[in-house]
Amino acid sequence: MIETGYVEVAIAVTLMIIAIVLSRWQRIGTEKEIAIGTIQSFVQLVAVGYALEFIFNLDSIFAILGTILVMILVGSYTAARRASHIPRAWALSFVAILAGSVVTLGLLLTMGIIKAKASYIIPLGGMTVGNSMNCAALVMERLHSEITGNRLAVETALALGKTWREAVSSYFTKSVKAGMMSMLNFLKVVGIVQLPGAMTGMILAGASPLKAVLIQVIVGYMLTAAVTVTGLVAAHLSVKQMFTPADQLKI
Amino acid sequence: METTTAENQEIILSARELGRVVHLKDGPRTIIDSFTFDFYRGKIHTVVGPSGSGKTSLLRLFNRLDEKTGGEVLYNAHPIEGYRVTELRKKIALAFQIPYLFPGTVASNLAYCCDETFVADHDFSSRFLRQVGLDPEIADRDPEKLSVGQKQRVAFARALVQEPDILMLDEPTSSLDPGAAKVIEELIDGLNRELGLTIIMVTHNFKQAQRLGGISLLIIDGRLVEWGSSSELFTHPRSDLTRKFVAEEL
Repeated sequence: MIETGYVEVAIAVTLMIIAIVLSRWQRIGTEKEIAIGTIQSFVQLVAVGYALEFIFNLDSIFAILGTILVMILVGSYTAARRASHIPRAWALSFVAILAGSVVTLGLLLTMGIIKAKASYIIPLGGMTVGNSMNCAALVMERLHSEITGNRLAVETALALGKTWREAVSSYFTKSVKAGMMSMLNFLKVVGIVQLPGAMTGMILAGASPLKAVLIQVIVGYMLTAAVTVTGLVAAHLSVKQMFTPADQLKI
Repeated sequence: METTTAENQEIILSARELGRVVHLKDGPRTIIDSFTFDFYRGKIHTVVGPSGSGKTSLLRLFNRLDEKTGGEVLYNAHPIEGYRVTELRKKIALAFQIPYLFPGTVASNLAYCCDETFVADHDFSSRFLRQVGLDPEIADRDPEKLSVGQKQRVAFARALVQEPDILMLDEPTSSLDPGAAKVIEELIDGLNRELGLTIIMVTHNFKQAQRLGGISLLIIDGRLVEWGSSSELFTHPRSDLTRKFVAEEL
């Protein structure tokens, strides 16, 4: 297991200095961003570390739920910023991410795979919300661009007497697939092309590789289910915002 | 019968004080302003006016692709809101200015709103392709490989499959050369005479309206300026605006 403390982190800053020197030497122009990122990521992660220590010690269900809620609020806000042209994007992405998180974490809890403890729910919740956030943003943005980019095709279908659901069905499918694609690709190459963070973290922390792998498999399944639910909910809610009850395109 | 004129022609579609106002960033904008008119079953109606006068918007209100903000539209003497919108759009069909054909084949486009078995039904596709003057042999072709004029005719045929009462055509010849435009005009005339279809066609070209005959309406800035027989309206205009439009001063 790696011994980690502030001294080790300070030594690791050398790597960032190398990145800055390379950036300056090759005139990439990212030195300032790397420097700010070095400090920002340290401050953010240390703050999160203290916050998690505090929440883990509290061991209160309200603290756990509150933490997950804050994650979902921030995640949905971030997703909504990428899909700001969709009315009520924040509310829609909030519901989508909430659905993805509740379904997957809820099932893992009820099936007894994880315990109702902060040390389980918060890290897994963070992963679920993070992946669901990316999925919701991608689905909403893609759906909007597909429908506006194919306005003539959509309105032709409507003019021929199709419902809005029928008129956008191919764009709906494409958008949900786009939102799930990174997760599906991850499942295909996991362990071959990359060792995922959760698994690597466990191995570094001293866990047996086999145990780490099994947990990673569960995490992979959980995230796939989460992005599927989130993607579908985000697509359903978003597309409804683009049409009136009389099957009229309103964007 | 209530829905008839003195000449006993049946009114199929009526607009009463029809209006549409859209709210843009710089404030409200009137697209259609108190438009009142009766369209007659089996007649050709050409809606004429300069670009941006609201002609296309009018068609979109008739089949509810857009929503009116005032007045009413009656189809067969009943408000259009009383019909299921998907059924209304089949009966008041609209062919767009730029024809969009779905990926697949000409036959799959014709059968777009039918059971999938119709895609392979050659009698079905032949019947509708012949109606628009196309060779039934093109049924299996990729629509992308058709000329714009052929695409437009396939789009008409696809609308005819729905057995519409009214065929609305939005500038169907605007992207065609004069020869192809003439073919489309003859087709529209044929569809009207042979199938008894009510035609409402938008055009910016009053000479085309004169060639097609029937009734012409001049719309400027969303308002109905003047209407009459296509042969008379533009040769003996009563309104100064019509005179200016004919003289291309608008």
